[in-house]
Amino acid sequence: MVEGYWHSKGSAERFYATFDINDLGRYTVVVEDKTAYRGDVASLKISERLGNVERKITLEDGSLFTTLDNDAIDTLFRHRQKSNAFVHYLETHMQWIAVAFVVAILTGISFFKWGIPWTSEKIAHALPYETNQLIAKGSMKFLDKAVFDESNLSKDKQEKIRNHFQTKIAPLSYEDDNKIDYKVYFRSWKMGDTEIPNALALPSGEIIVTDKFIQLATNQDEIDAVMLHEMGHVVHRHGLEMLIEGTFITVAVMMMTGDSSSIGDMGVGLGSALVSSSYSRGHESEADLYAFKKMLKGGIDPKSFSNIMNNMTEYMNEQNDDNETKKENKILDYFASHPSTKERVELANRYSECFKQGLMSCK
Amino acid sequence: MEALRFTGTGSEYFKIWIVNVLLTIITLGIYYPWAKVRNRRYFYANTNLADRNFEYHATGKQLLLGFLIGLVLFVIYNIVTQVAPQFAVVFMALFMLILPWLIWRSVMFNMKVTSFSNVHFSFRGKLKTSYKIFLGYPLLVIIFIIILGIVASIAIPQLHIETMENPTILIIGSIILGFLSMLVYVFIIAIIQKKSKEYIIGNSFYGQGEFSIKLETKKFLTIYAKAIGLVLIPLVVMGLGTLGMGAGGVEILFVIGYLGFMVSFLLVGAYIVSRTRAYIYENTLLDNRVSFKSTLGARALAWVMFTNFLMIIVTIGFAMPWAKVRMARLMLENTLVDTSVGFDDYITQEQERGGAIGEQIGEVFDVDIDVGF
Repeated sequence: MVEGYWHSKGSAERFYATFDINDLGRYTVVVEDKTAYRGDVASLKISERLGNVERKITLEDGSLFTTLDNDAIDTLFRHRQKSNAFVHYLETHMQWIAVAFVVAILTGISFFKWGIPWTSEKIAHALPYETNQLIAKGSMKFLDKAVFDESNLSKDKQEKIRNHFQTKIAPLSYEDDNKIDYKVYFRSWKMGDTEIPNALALPSGEIIVTDKFIQLATNQDEIDAVMLHEMGHVVHRHGLEMLIEGTFITVAVMMMTGDSSSIGDMGVGLGSALVSSSYSRGHESEADLYAFKKMLKGGIDPKSFSNIMNNMTEYMNEQNDDNETKKENKILDYFASHPSTKERVELANRYSECFKQGLMSCK
Repeated sequence: MEALRFTGTGSEYFKIWIVNVLLTIITLGIYYPWAKVRNRRYFYANTNLADRNFEYHATGKQLLLGFLIGLVLFVIYNIVTQVAPQFAVVFMALFMLILPWLIWRSVMFNMKVTSFSNVHFSFRGKLKTSYKIFLGYPLLVIIFIIILGIVASIAIPQLHIETMENPTILIIGSIILGFLSMLVYVFIIAIIQKKSKEYIIGNSFYGQGEFSIKLETKKFLTIYAKAIGLVLIPLVVMGLGTLGMGAGGVEILFVIGYLGFMVSFLLVGAYIVSRTRAYIYENTLLDNRVSFKSTLGARALAWVMFTNFLMIIVTIGFAMPWAKVRMARLMLENTLVDTSVGFDDYITQEQERGGAIGEQIGEVFDVDIDVGF
């Protein structure tokens, strides 16, 4: 016999009542004024067990028996009705909680570490080539309006770099993807009074180099090294991958925070910033590797990549803090979109060793 | 007056939550609506008033379709905004157009599937009113911003010429202008908040019992005005800090900026929530006889929000269940209801059926309409 309360259909008023089931599969609810409700157990609707919240049994006539004695109800109904006990079973057994915990951690880590980048890469490469053009459409116009100024380099110099690129460098990537139509643009990029040395590639194969970068490059090899790095982004379709990764992250975040109030949202924002910058670092390393491999093939010393990287970093450091001693900031490294220059230079040096030995590939 | 009680515990909820996570992972997300029902039900059914409790009656099956539609729309929206930002504007406009409908359906559905002591709530607000509040007022904000843009684009070049020799006037002028426009913006937000509370609470029913609410715009604006004052303090401190640091490096500025933003967000958020809540509860009645009261303080709320945030960060999210239970407990224990009349006379009113599609699409897009305390 289970003790609880009885409500007539839809009424808030409740009466003390008892509930019992006999051997023939008939139930009896006796309300405090001795009224009794009887019927077949199969006609009852029982709410699912959830922690220890009040259990609700709806009778045929819509009236309701409620009780907090969950265990007694589970015992009474054990063999009589299919109850949704599976989830509750998981929730109350420590070994399953432990399994769930481990699965959650492992899936979480692998999903973000390998699942998203891997799937994004597959999708990015499965999409037709034209998708790259589509996502880059209008970007050049926007950048010209918002970021860049016209280049101050002489037309001769521009033509010389362009010609060299189209005849010597661009063909190096034909074996990977011969649809890409590379174009080189020269622009000036200023932030405040500082001229920014940089090179960037749009998914469509448009490579933009800034005046300061050309100035800082001491020889043709250094320009080629950076061009190859940018081509690496294009060949690997990093622009498209970033877009797909971004969509995955937002959907995952939506699922995680869906039913929570905004308390955790800021933590989640921090987390997704960390994740996407880690993907971005992955892309940079991939583009570096691509550049080094092509340099071995094209007979360019990978050392030139580390040279120009060092030049640019040095220049930017000079601009940023004239006298200030720059402190290492380990935490912020996790937010950086590029791997640390030190790591990149080390890899370049390793490839340079291979280059000097005349190897065509490097381990 | 009697306070609501929360009878759940963090460790019990953790088990439910982690099993939800497990099943959602195994089913590649399809279990999500069922998980949501279990989550909600845990909080509703553990909310106790005068020894009776609330209940959440929606089923996973009811929520699934809306969830799937919402998810597809969400993915399309994300891709469109990244590929073609110009279409994002069209998308936003369409979204603004259906938002009032989403809210209306959400509130209706959520009320219907919520009961207290066997009696269901209901919502009888008109769709037209929803459009007035959730489309009309936001349009006002947009018009305001456009006008501001036009004024600025005309005025600034002229000012610029006149004040070439005296840039202080320009700086002070733009600070004043910026401050004024922030004031107007915040006030429109405050009015939308007030109207939406009146709309939702004022059209809600508990069984045959009718909720009534009477708010004054002036009181509401005062709360927001004080909040603006509150946000100025951390801003000034941050500004001074920045000046003091001088060329302290981008990293330090970044950290200060983030912390400063967080602290002011917490304080202002907690202040607005606790004060408007107190004001709203004080002026809400059920059947002109059951009164409500909120004793939630801004500092207590900010403290729980802040410590919850730290807990979640440190445990990479696994403390979420405890955080949610703490928050629920704080909210409920600071909600008082006059129970002297009792609830025995209330009877569920039959309502037309309605699906959960609006509710779930809304949820995916973070339209946060929750019933209860």
